[in-house]
Amino acid sequence: MLQTIFYGLTIGGILYIISIGLSLTFGAMGIVNFSHGLIYAIGAYTIYAVMAKMGINFILGAVIAVLVSIPFSYIIEKYVIRRLYGESIDYAIIATYAVLLIGVDAIKWIWGASPLPISDPVGISIQFLTMEMPLYRLIIIGLTLLILIGLSLFFKKTIIGKIIIAGLGDREAVRGLGIRLDKYFAIIFILGSALAALGGVLYSPISTLHPYMGFHILILCFAVVIVGGMGNLRGTAIAAFSLGLVMAITGRIWGPAAEAMVYVVMAFVLMIRPIET
Amino acid sequence: MRMIKRLERSPTLILAVITAGFIIFGYSTSILKITDFIIFCIYVLGYDLLYGHMGRLSFGHMLYLGAGAYGTALCAKYLSSNVFLAILCGILFGAAIGGILGPILIRTKGACFALLNLAFNQVGHFLVLVPLAKITGGEDGISLHFTGYRFLDFSNIHQLFFLSLISLILVAFLIIKFTHSPYGILLKGIKENETRVNFLGYNTYRYKLITFVLSTTIAAFAGALTTLNYNYANPSFIDPHRSVEVIFATLMGGAGSVLGAVIGGAAFMTISNYLPRYILRWEMFLGLALLIIAFKFRKGIWGYIREI
Repeated sequence: MLQTIFYGLTIGGILYIISIGLSLTFGAMGIVNFSHGLIYAIGAYTIYAVMAKMGINFILGAVIAVLVSIPFSYIIEKYVIRRLYGESIDYAIIATYAVLLIGVDAIKWIWGASPLPISDPVGISIQFLTMEMPLYRLIIIGLTLLILIGLSLFFKKTIIGKIIIAGLGDREAVRGLGIRLDKYFAIIFILGSALAALGGVLYSPISTLHPYMGFHILILCFAVVIVGGMGNLRGTAIAAFSLGLVMAITGRIWGPAAEAMVYVVMAFVLMIRPIET
Repeated sequence: MRMIKRLERSPTLILAVITAGFIIFGYSTSILKITDFIIFCIYVLGYDLLYGHMGRLSFGHMLYLGAGAYGTALCAKYLSSNVFLAILCGILFGAAIGGILGPILIRTKGACFALLNLAFNQVGHFLVLVPLAKITGGEDGISLHFTGYRFLDFSNIHQLFFLSLISLILVAFLIIKFTHSPYGILLKGIKENETRVNFLGYNTYRYKLITFVLSTTIAAFAGALTTLNYNYANPSFIDPHRSVEVIFATLMGGAGSVLGAVIGGAAFMTISNYLPRYILRWEMFLGLALLIIAFKFRKGIWGYIREI
């Protein structure tokens, strides 16, 4: 049981890292960003390419993967997202989904459609009480906590973070103070995307790579964002870890149902709680 | 120009144009393929009722198509060999799914509505693939053999073609009647500003639910016909990845009008059937086309014809 909770926390941590960008993009710009899944997949495939083809070690590979994702998210922000400000949400969904489609096909073009495995970069397990814990998963949980603390400091202490929080609350008032919100939203968009790429890097050794991995995880992350409340940072964190636990516990009882259970939980949450937007 | 205006006002003329268009299209190319096109157009019409008329974008409408397809296939396999009973079973199954999920879904709108539909579609896809695999055949699906009913013979492609065409005309007629009634105007009102419609004393929840269930029912009808046409039902009929096709078709034709939906459906099927022969990277092409539509071509084909 303890091990199940431990696995759930790992999944929850990764879900949190990926969802944070989605939640921010939604809260700040009112855009449902499907291209987030593409950045996630780019992160995962880059680390595969760097590790398997060039033989660079995992940590340096992770840094490269995150760096590689930044120009992509910059291009997406500049040419797609920025044009969607204030537009109907339907077109935002369609346009970002189109970006995802193009990216998925490009991945298929380069790496082929078959799944690719990445081995555990640490490969050591720690004996704790009666259970065996892969060190890699412990590192993920630690890293997630670091990001959680780092982000909350960023939003509380730095001026950029404060402006963004204010912009999430009342866009017009912040603009009225003469602050160019678009620029700040672009910064958090890229920050969120870089975290998604990191999520892709971290998750790839636990799962396998396939071109539709971005689409797949994205639906889970949307569930996290919907349950946690869109643009609500603390809610996102709580929702990510609880849904991660739901996945792990369901997966222990009956493997294939793990993901379906997340949506069932989401439906229940929606029935109980009134929905904004 | 005047002709287009006249065409728009007269339902009989619209239906006549659709019928004539598909018969000419069908007999000049391949009946087998055009039957598929017609069925897809029914699906687009149902979707357009939800998106074009009420302004709710669903990102998981394949679920309802799949419900119809599997409802029909399961009924034909386990219950009765009567084709019409099987189709009815599929339609009712789709309506039931809409009726169960509707009360949860319809309270949301915008992104939430789109994503919830997607999530439920994912659950449906999973249910068909894993827990119900013993009944639904899992990855392989169900293959069937429809014999016919009295003088009707469903292995005859011409009969199937006309059955689909009549269904399309029926659905189109229904939607024209609906949208030209006070109910249709109310839907437009909900699309533009729901609060005001509420304020006028209408129970918008009820109208939204009716529209949603109607849309799922039409999608299920299209699913039932798809099963009849292909003689099988497999998980690709309920695959959430394919949900984007119907959105693309609706937008390409022009959302919010019957002719737009039919033109969009036919145009999308033409592209997806003939273009992959020449274009290797089909998804990339679809993505680029969607981007162009989202930024530059929002009115769709019919929207532009109308403005000439």
